[in-house]
Amino acid sequence: MKAAFQIGNNASTRWLHPGAWWVWALGLATAASRTLNPLLLVLIIVVAALVVHARKPDAPWARSFIFFVKLGIAIIVIRVMVQVLFGAAIGETTLFNLPSVTLPEWMAGVRLGGPVTLESILMAFYDGLRLATIIICIGAANSLASPSRLLKSVPAALYEIGVSVVVALTFTPKLVADVSRVQAARHLRGRVTRGPRAIAGAAMPVLEGALEGSITLAAAMDSRGYGRRNDMGVKAQRTTSTLLAVGLIAACIGTYGLVAATSPMLLSAPMLIIGVGASLVAITRSAQSAVRTRYRPDPWWIPEWLVAIAGIFIAGTFIISMWISPLAMETQVDPAMWPALPLLPLIGLVIAATPVLTAPPIPRTYGESPHITPQPFEVAA
Amino acid sequence: MIRFENVSVTYDGETTPILRNIDLELFEGEMVLVVGRTGSGKTTFLQTINGLMPHFTGGTLSGRVTIDDRDTQTNPPRELADLVGVVAQDPARGFVADTVEEELAFGMECLGLAPEVMRRRVEETLDLLGLNDLRYRPLMTLSAGQQQRVAIGAVLTSHPKVLVLDEPTSALDPGAAEEILAALQRLVHDLGITVVMAEHRLERVVQYVDRVIVVPGNAAPLIVGTPQEVMRTAPIAPPVVELGRVAGWNPLPLSVRDARRVAGPLRTLLIDQIPPVRSNESTQDSEVLSEAQQLTIQYGQHTALKAVSLAIRSGEVVALMGRNGAGKSTLLNAMVGLRFASSGSITTHGKDPRTLKGVELLNSVGLVPQSPGDLLEATSVGDECKAADRDANVESGTTRALLDLLAPEIDHATHPRDLSEGQRLLLALVIVLAARPPLLLLDEPTRGLDYPTKIRLVDALRNLALAGHAIILATHDVELAAEVATRVIVLAEGEVVADGPTADVVVASPMFAPQIAKVMAPYPWLTVTDVVNTIGPLILRSHAPISGDALT
Amino acid sequence: MTPAVRIGKRSLFAILATTIVGIVAFGWPLIASPESDAVAHSTDAPWLFVIVVPLLLAVVLAQFTDGGMDAKAIAVLGVLAAVVSALRPLGGGTAGLEPIWVILVLGGRALGPGFGFSLGAVSLFSSALLTGGVGPWLPFQMLGAAWVGLGAGLLPKATGRTEIYLLAAYGAVAAFAYGLLLNLWFWPFTAGLPSAIAFVPGAPLAENFSAWLHFTVLTSLGYDIPRAILTVVLIFAAGPTILTALRRVSRKARFGAIPTFESVTP
Repeated sequence: MKAAFQIGNNASTRWLHPGAWWVWALGLATAASRTLNPLLLVLIIVVAALVVHARKPDAPWARSFIFFVKLGIAIIVIRVMVQVLFGAAIGETTLFNLPSVTLPEWMAGVRLGGPVTLESILMAFYDGLRLATIIICIGAANSLASPSRLLKSVPAALYEIGVSVVVALTFTPKLVADVSRVQAARHLRGRVTRGPRAIAGAAMPVLEGALEGSITLAAAMDSRGYGRRNDMGVKAQRTTSTLLAVGLIAACIGTYGLVAATSPMLLSAPMLIIGVGASLVAITRSAQSAVRTRYRPDPWWIPEWLVAIAGIFIAGTFIISMWISPLAMETQVDPAMWPALPLLPLIGLVIAATPVLTAPPIPRTYGESPHITPQPFEVAA
Repeated sequence: MIRFENVSVTYDGETTPILRNIDLELFEGEMVLVVGRTGSGKTTFLQTINGLMPHFTGGTLSGRVTIDDRDTQTNPPRELADLVGVVAQDPARGFVADTVEEELAFGMECLGLAPEVMRRRVEETLDLLGLNDLRYRPLMTLSAGQQQRVAIGAVLTSHPKVLVLDEPTSALDPGAAEEILAALQRLVHDLGITVVMAEHRLERVVQYVDRVIVVPGNAAPLIVGTPQEVMRTAPIAPPVVELGRVAGWNPLPLSVRDARRVAGPLRTLLIDQIPPVRSNESTQDSEVLSEAQQLTIQYGQHTALKAVSLAIRSGEVVALMGRNGAGKSTLLNAMVGLRFASSGSITTHGKDPRTLKGVELLNSVGLVPQSPGDLLEATSVGDECKAADRDANVESGTTRALLDLLAPEIDHATHPRDLSEGQRLLLALVIVLAARPPLLLLDEPTRGLDYPTKIRLVDALRNLALAGHAIILATHDVELAAEVATRVIVLAEGEVVADGPTADVVVASPMFAPQIAKVMAPYPWLTVTDVVNTIGPLILRSHAPISGDALT
Repeated sequence: MTPAVRIGKRSLFAILATTIVGIVAFGWPLIASPESDAVAHSTDAPWLFVIVVPLLLAVVLAQFTDGGMDAKAIAVLGVLAAVVSALRPLGGGTAGLEPIWVILVLGGRALGPGFGFSLGAVSLFSSALLTGGVGPWLPFQMLGAAWVGLGAGLLPKATGRTEIYLLAAYGAVAAFAYGLLLNLWFWPFTAGLPSAIAFVPGAPLAENFSAWLHFTVLTSLGYDIPRAILTVVLIFAAGPTILTALRRVSRKARFGAIPTFESVTP
């Protein structure tokens, strides 16, 4: 049993910084958002799946990739169904005819059914595939990046909230265990243990126990020095407040600029981004008054750079291809044409798959957020 | 190190203080034991040391508490974190991180120590407490003893000069408790840390401490002194001390070793006497209430019970003993149908317990689980009793009447969560007893119980056994087993390794022998009462000076 | 009763700004002027908000914790977020049967608006982490839930039965509005819909609004109505007990306890 928990001291196995996985996955997603070429989209999914397969840890959250793939398939199916049901037909190649129904006036007189063409289905399929690919890339990040490690890397300003999320993550499986214990206790009192009434009966003792536990936890945190901070100078505080106020006002103006008619370019998106940036600087500054350090933060070494750059690289190649050969990136549907396979995005795809090699293999054990499979009716170990 | 100057403590909304006019100084490298019954203000006393009282709890503190010349008035708990380490009663509830290593580092992160320092101290602490094998383990997968060690380690990394522990051994089996105490000894001796701990299990700790503080409750003045001084008059004492007191031994023995040295004459005196037998002869032919045959229970890869065969008869009081994780709880759970046999069979009241439901179950067997609070769902004690009457289908008022016998002081309107641990246990016990189950199971009933409550529990169990109930206690408490059990079953790794009359089983076992048995070995005496009843205190006293001289 | 999370001037300001930006982030398809930048870049605008909203949420939460949140608030917040995370899979996506809204509404009510806001954001975030459900929708779910908690904390004073009616009414509205908002967020991402229910960038407000209403009726009402009903039922059934439990913990925790020290003259 003990050996199963030993982490090999082998330096080549370690956890990649979760931030690197997110940069890589978002790069893939950005690339996907730039194209309607089904071949490229499918290849992006293949790359994501390869890397997930190679570097996915054995933890409950890591199984979410499959869930995201299913979600992606559902998106495609729904998109095509919507097209078949509601879509105005484009193109000439009619596949079949659906009986046509017009909804009543209060439903805006939408017309359902009618002729279904190959062209419109292809268009819907490509469109759905693109959104599905973006979703699947995000699923890859969910599977590869450990949430508890991500929390270790939250910026200092969000440390406290990070702690409460860690508490939430560790408490959730405890609660599940508590529920089965209380269910067992209900059995001991000769009460029903299944059905909504049992759940309701078990809910209160579990909730009360958890809330009581939270006070004990708070006392322990307080006794261990949580929340120590130095006094910030009055002047520094004033600067921070001003920066925050200016930033937030700028963000509001920028937002207004986005939706208002004909506002000067500078007053919209750039203003919003500057405003948000200033607010972030403000909270980072005020977080500096806390005395806190990090124990063994996840390092950002060469493999992290390689993985992150692979993601940025593929996004770059797709964006550039969009400029230089937009036709190859947007597959023509009317008339339907076989998609092209442009070279530059292909190079991008190959690079994007490199984390299979460059990311270090993960340790074969769990140094991971706890997960338990509660025994039914666990009264005690 | 710790100085109390005329300290009184009052909670918000209370008119009288819970602690009054404390003047006390504790020194560097001292190990101090704080005793007192539940509700006496013992925990409050501990909380004043790092300022949780009143900074965290609210309330009024008059006078001055200083730790290493830092006043708790100006230093809230977080500012004292580098000086005072606090380990609360249920350490698992105070864990912030999810793995051992990160938990050890949490306090240092809050103090803002440099990364190299943190790394070094984590390694040192892992070694000091023997935790290195567990460093990457999720905290939830640890045993109670391991969790306790991690909790101690987690405060030690901040290099405190004072360590405050609330009942560090009460949830542990004797082996794990020894480990914790050995670790604490090392801290006191090698690092000069001042250790202040509250503990009900006096027999485990009293021989290790330098001073004892008794918190009598009702704001009466504290009694402070060396263990010998305090134990001479204390209303509660471990069995070996009680034996010493009735025998008039001087100096008073605090450990089995001390007592054995002076007990020679007493042993000789008793050599021809036969200890009162808590035999189960009378129960030999009584009704079988539960029977296991070749019972094996597995979950997943883990085999919790292996080919266990036993029969429990009415009138028996069985102590089920063994390490944490030996399968005690699993056996009890199987008897009430919460676990099912992978192979073999188990019957309760002649039936497969899994088929027992509702009133039929309540009328055949009752189990008080390890955390008795799980049984309580209502928002007041009164409602809880009424619900129990309804569940058991008995006349209304039955449960409350039982409660009045055991714990009349519990008020109807109290929220069950506001009861003390002992009161919660007694309430859970009467709820289970409302249906008068012939077979009563208790899982670790004495965990966190103070002595007076424990005595009430022991009396209640004896009376139930006399009334023909069969009782099984899964327990680490060897003294409890010696007091009430007629039979002891020892489990190890899911197998029955010993099963027989109490005296036969425990006297031979170094782990499960009560203190008196260790003192009187090889003769099978189990409790002070047995010894006293047999020869009478007068004879004892006449022999006492001889043994005292022999020592000096 | 002292609220668990103190909202200072800066926090208040941050909430206001985030709310303004949030309203636009959800509602731009309906409120943007046809000549605006948002409409001109209507495929990229939602992604801009996907980046901006979480950053602003971070600003608000950081502001809260900067002096307003002690260990007690953090611990209670974490534990209640765990309750929400444990409850969330129970619904399992079955027709919007999400029991979590009860906790958000009652938590905000019992422990104050600042706590409610944080609870909404943190609980949806942690449950997404647990199930691997982090995606572009997450910031908007967090913001929506945070508003629900905030609103619950701002409800007027009431006691006894009146309070339960008030909370049930609020719960119904909030759970329903949450569904509408999330639907509105998702709407610009849909494509291929007939113009009667599709978002048409630059179309007049009235047309887009009616299109959105019809879109909602067709797609999400089946989720939103059961969600609102379940919330009401649960608030009536379990509201008083849960509220008592939350207030008990709030009393026991003594948020904002003022320690008193007396000096004694010997």
